[in-house]
Amino acid sequence: MKLLTHNLLSSHVRGVGPRGFPLRLQATEVRINPVEFNPDFVARMIPKVEWAALLEAADTLHLVEVPKGPIEGYEHDEKFLRQMHHVLLEVRTGPSLASLATAG
Amino acid sequence: MSDVQEAPNQLLDVNLHENWSCIQATESGPRSESEHLQVTIGATVPTGFEQTAADEVREKLGSSCKISKDRGKIYFDISVESLAQVHCLRSVDNLFVVVKEFKDYQFKETKEEVLKDFEELAGKLPWSDPLKVWKINTNFKKKKTKRKKIKQNADSHILDYYENPAIKEEISTLVGDDLASYKDEKDESSKEETQSKMLKFRVTCNRAGEKHCFSSNEAARDFGGAVQDYFKWKADMTNFDVEVLLNIHDSEIVVGIALTEESLHRRNITHFGPTTLRSTLAYGMLRLCAPQPTDIIVDPMCGTGAIPIEGATEWSNCYHIAGDNNPLAVDRAANNISSLLTKSQIKEGEVSWGLPIDAVQWDICNLPLRTGTVDIIVTDMPFGKRMGSKKRNWNLYPACLREMSRVCRPGTGRAALLTQDKKCFIKALSGMGHVWRKVHTVWVNIGGLHAAVYLLKRTPQAFVHPSEQDGERTPW
Repeated sequence: MKLLTHNLLSSHVRGVGPRGFPLRLQATEVRINPVEFNPDFVARMIPKVEWAALLEAADTLHLVEVPKGPIEGYEHDEKFLRQMHHVLLEVRTGPSLASLATAG
Repeated sequence: MSDVQEAPNQLLDVNLHENWSCIQATESGPRSESEHLQVTIGATVPTGFEQTAADEVREKLGSSCKISKDRGKIYFDISVESLAQVHCLRSVDNLFVVVKEFKDYQFKETKEEVLKDFEELAGKLPWSDPLKVWKINTNFKKKKTKRKKIKQNADSHILDYYENPAIKEEISTLVGDDLASYKDEKDESSKEETQSKMLKFRVTCNRAGEKHCFSSNEAARDFGGAVQDYFKWKADMTNFDVEVLLNIHDSEIVVGIALTEESLHRRNITHFGPTTLRSTLAYGMLRLCAPQPTDIIVDPMCGTGAIPIEGATEWSNCYHIAGDNNPLAVDRAANNISSLLTKSQIKEGEVSWGLPIDAVQWDICNLPLRTGTVDIIVTDMPFGKRMGSKKRNWNLYPACLREMSRVCRPGTGRAALLTQDKKCFIKALSGMGHVWRKVHTVWVNIGGLHAAVYLLKRTPQAFVHPSEQDGERTPW
């Protein structure tokens, strides 16, 4: 699944994490699939991103060049947007479908 | 899993617009005389969604529609040059060109007289312009059919693109083949046009109304006989070139010529499940929710994924998530997504991968989604007939509505839910007034069952987990 999807997921089973979030990813397979870059789409997704979960996922999957958080004026920063585009939409984990590995 | 066998027989109805736009550009020469032709097109749409279809026509073609009394049909005028775009409409099942419309046809008293009138009618109708349109349409379709055959072979091999990078080689070869055969088709069809071909036809009559003294078969037979005499065409019920439509609804009669053979409604699906939804219906439900750019759209009971797949193709600036509790269903959805990706790769030739869609396995009563993150929920709920059971629905529906209200964004979120188990749904909804407000109901017909699409708006009230209401009575 794409990391954007992972980022939207959580487990609200009580006792899992502070708000049942994030879910642990298994770094079994990582693939990169090119996706057409749409800066507008990425910019509007930034406010919806749960950064702590994203950074943890990126760490588990040993990704590099992942921004640590939204920067000032990110809407117009193409480099930032391209990095986020890559992380959220082009990195895919696990087999093509996921039955989620819930934390714990 | 028998999914692999399902694919070759259940057609991948080709997404027409990719072929039409490039073909139209090359057809400018011999068509110049008919370029300024204005025609009336009729379209069949899922009953209940006539207004949605009319909106799409206005948006994409700039034409206003007349919605017929005959449910499930709309009519609009276009110039012939826009024919290609008409085939791009996603809310229509079938298309036809209108030969003549009678708003208030005077039926004579006896059956013999009525049928005689139909016979005489055949020779008096303005056939020539509609037939020109039919001809243009057929030429486009011939080219499309050849392409489709190639793609069919491609799709049955390339199912799990995501899994097998070696398939990349196959795709580039196929693109080459595809282009080569397209050139051959062009030569072939221009040869055919110079020969005059004996056309085969059939008449299909649909009749509705209580005061008619004749049957649809009788009308089709006698009208068809006269058509045959007039044109000297050969009648053939199965292998026809021209399908003449005789639609009679009370005193409204429309004579038309069909422009589509297979219905367009299964266009995106290669792997069918037990209750796969028509893509046209999926489109209508999504459109009801008025998706905005970057909306997160979820189908938590996706089955084969018909709804999210339609969403990803038409609203590609939104993000779609398909989920189901059944791993077979999730598999099917993922396969359908792969097929779609493969199709778009072959079409464009260049590398333009990735669709804004993902498939996940989950439990609807316990969705692993963050609270308040989903903008739109569109789903086909188990009717309790072919899927699930009515008894199970009594528990399932309230649990679904509750969980959906949690993940749906308060204030702006909305949901379009299809079900035939209306009683159960309304009862479940009645305890949820604080989170869901019903704004619209569309009555639809699903395989003979009277179903409804309920459009709900999520109220601004934030979701409160029941256990956080210590000492208070839970609102539901």
